Amino acid sequence: MPAVAESKAQATLERLFDLLPARLDADARLTGERFGTMRFATGRIHQPQFESATGLSLRVYEGGRLGTATTDEFTKEGLRRLIEQARSLARVAPPEERFPGFPSAPDRRARAVPFSRPTASITPERLGDLASRAIEKANEKVKGARVSGAFHAGSEWIAVANSAGLRGFTQRSVAQASVLIERPEADPPVSGWSELADWDASRIDPEKLSLDAAGKVARRAPESIAAGSYRVVLGPCAVSELISSLGYLGFSGHGEQEGWSCLKSERGKAAFPSSVDLRDDGTSERSLPQGIDYEGSPKRPTPLIDSGVVGDAVTDLVTAGRLGRSPSGHGLPPESPWGDFGPIPTQLLLGAGDASVDELVKETRQGILVNRFHYVRVVHPGRAVLTGMTRDGTYRIEKGEVVAPVCNLRFTESILSTLKSVELVGKEARRFSDERGFVSVTCPAILAGSFTFTSSTLF
Amino acid sequence: MEELVRAGLAAAEKAGALYADVRVIAPQRYEHLAVRNGEATALTYSSRSGLGVRVRTRGSWGFATASGVEAATVRDAARLAVRVARAAEGPKAPALPVTSEPGPSNGRYQSRMKLDPFEIPREEKLALLTDAERALHVAAEVKNGHTSFQAWEEVKWFGSSEGVHYRSRIVHVGAGADATAISGGDVQRRSFPNSFGGDYGQAGFEFVRSLDLVGNAEKTGREAVALLNAPPCPASTTTIVLASDQLALQVHESVGHAVELDRILAWEAGFAGTSWVAADDIGKLTYGSPAMNIRADASEPGGLGTFGWDDEGTPARSTPIVKSGKLVGVLSSKETASRVGLSESGGTARAEGFHRAPLVRMTNVNLEAGDASMDELLEGVADGIFFSTNRSWSIDDKRLNFQFGCEVGRRILKGELGPMVRNPIYSGMTPEFWRSMDLVGDESTWHLWGLPNCGKGQPVQSAHVGHGAPVARFRNVSVRGG
Repeated sequence: MPAVAESKAQATLERLFDLLPARLDADARLTGERFGTMRFATGRIHQPQFESATGLSLRVYEGGRLGTATTDEFTKEGLRRLIEQARSLARVAPPEERFPGFPSAPDRRARAVPFSRPTASITPERLGDLASRAIEKANEKVKGARVSGAFHAGSEWIAVANSAGLRGFTQRSVAQASVLIERPEADPPVSGWSELADWDASRIDPEKLSLDAAGKVARRAPESIAAGSYRVVLGPCAVSELISSLGYLGFSGHGEQEGWSCLKSERGKAAFPSSVDLRDDGTSERSLPQGIDYEGSPKRPTPLIDSGVVGDAVTDLVTAGRLGRSPSGHGLPPESPWGDFGPIPTQLLLGAGDASVDELVKETRQGILVNRFHYVRVVHPGRAVLTGMTRDGTYRIEKGEVVAPVCNLRFTESILSTLKSVELVGKEARRFSDERGFVSVTCPAILAGSFTFTSSTLF
Repeated sequence: MEELVRAGLAAAEKAGALYADVRVIAPQRYEHLAVRNGEATALTYSSRSGLGVRVRTRGSWGFATASGVEAATVRDAARLAVRVARAAEGPKAPALPVTSEPGPSNGRYQSRMKLDPFEIPREEKLALLTDAERALHVAAEVKNGHTSFQAWEEVKWFGSSEGVHYRSRIVHVGAGADATAISGGDVQRRSFPNSFGGDYGQAGFEFVRSLDLVGNAEKTGREAVALLNAPPCPASTTTIVLASDQLALQVHESVGHAVELDRILAWEAGFAGTSWVAADDIGKLTYGSPAMNIRADASEPGGLGTFGWDDEGTPARSTPIVKSGKLVGVLSSKETASRVGLSESGGTARAEGFHRAPLVRMTNVNLEAGDASMDELLEGVADGIFFSTNRSWSIDDKRLNFQFGCEVGRRILKGELGPMVRNPIYSGMTPEFWRSMDLVGDESTWHLWGLPNCGKGQPVQSAHVGHGAPVARFRNVSVRGG
């Protein structure tokens, strides 16, 4: 977003604050996004779209009560209606007595974070070219394959202001891509998957992505193996699923305050091997960087698991007040469905080790190599038990070598047990995110000593 | 707004589109009130408006969206949609097939309701939630009480270059309560009337009042506490009876998604997955037992999947999907239907708001009632498990291997409901499971549930769908404690 548009965003916020009654405590976010998607299946782009949207949310703190309203109508009348809606909600709200109020200025300056203007302003033609190159390479590499995937790119900007004088602005560029190569005619069918996210679209090489996915496609029929507990090498994509779940099950401010966090009794303890190191860092160029949160607090490196020792849950203004802490810079849009989860880490970084994938496999000796999980859901939040399926490249490891593809397996396992059994951590980290880069996880592969598969499927 | 729609269609045609449709949504309103332990977790109101233009060139679709409802905006979006389609189609793209359907079809659709939920004073809504939330706290072990109310309104103007023009106003509401009991490291939750925030319908505030959250809160709290001391669900292969709320989700995951024609055609392979069902299975495949009858009905009164026309202008339809256990139909759009030789769309192309393109989605996918009473469903079960209220759900990418966890299980002993068991899980494979359904409950056990959180597509869309389901019995199912 050019600087002139940034100042226009701040001007809209100023117009809103000019209309607010004197001494009414409030904060507001004006956000804008522009994203393109080229989704492809059966070897053709079939769902291409470009979208843009702006939205304004106002949160008032009046009479010790909070109310939030949003609009995309920026006329004087629209802003007046927004104020009235937020105040009317606050009037009937239960009291929020521990709310600390809106900060006048952050206690630290927001760091400048990397941002790619070409990614933010990507054209349909450029995005179409990336998708087409991925399809072409996949078809060249696996003859007769069925190729699917998607390329997404764009940006979000966030302007924040509050009645105590805080003013903040950040922008986030996002590119996310995936390629699936299937051989559906094989019996059972086989497939391979590769995925990557970056804040700079030019660093995602579509041909490389297809080559990576092609390398995961089994060359012979998968065999069924018995459910049970196995040593596993979890590839980075599989690890990212577990880590993002741990983010909200273990480090949500709400989970901490309400007592359901799976790590509530582990804070400050060495619960995991020292090779497990997890932090949240919106300032890192290895994440999808964002300078401030949706309340204007600057992002900063936040240790979550420090060499195996469990750190604190993250907070926003509301949960910080309820927990008697300072906000950690993890405020989300108060009006979004994520608001119900409360603050969660959104730029997760799992520290890399020094093992190559070959070394992980060799050390496993006998076990399973998992490329990716599918449909992961929480079975028991307090114990962080998850279930899900393996997908797109699951292999058996014998005598320290990958020997055969296996039919997909269902796991039902606690993330805590998995992390406690980590023996080795891979050296190559990979970055993953949802298509809009709201939550990113950068992580390597791991070798876990025990992982429970509870059933298998037919392919 | 009609003029805006026509301006968008004209701009798309001028830019070279062979077909276009324009959806203007103004307003799209949402209210969410939620209380947890006496404090607000959500008190939000949102009002947005915007438009989406979808075009078809010779070889591709294109879709573009924007906030705001000005003529310049719709013209820009139309031109961008054509540019997007051209960037996607490539030089040798074959022509896109679509069904050719009789038209035009014009009119209005409006949700039926007695009490507009947006007109009910917020004081009344909040009082209901705070009273119910307070009543959940029946014991010290109830660490978290939570109640919520949600309402959605979408006023839509649709027009297509095929001459379909309609206007609709659809209102959905829902509410629920849940209690989380925590003790000794265990966490147990009970929800009323269902998990996922309760139950939802296309109705007014009378729907929320009818739930009687306050009157049911104490029982919900007591059950959460009781679960802490209940024995774990025993592991076995046994007879299970699924409550209507859980069976609705079973239908959703293992039938509804599996019969979406875009999944069958592998268009969702890169994200949600494909299906174990093939297009040429229609009319041939034995999906389940003869007791299984499923229909996708977009005209079911009060359903979250009920509408006048879908988002490509096809009128609401009621399509048989499974008849006496045989697969007889699928969920489809104009393009997907055409690709498998169907003469018309099933009318299930739906989009979330103005900023997403229509996809094949569920409407109200209902398992029809049988004729067994609740007593008859339990009769003859020497030792089984009754499962109620979903807690976790997962299924593979072809919709075969599934595992569901429920909030509560009850032993069935000698034909009668016995004591509670905690963390009950059942799992299976879709065809074997449905073929093992030997008895289906009658109308008295049937309920139309609303699910407001069905995720699909890239960028992901959250659809509101309905599922009517009775209570039903299944044999030889693998169960255990989680």
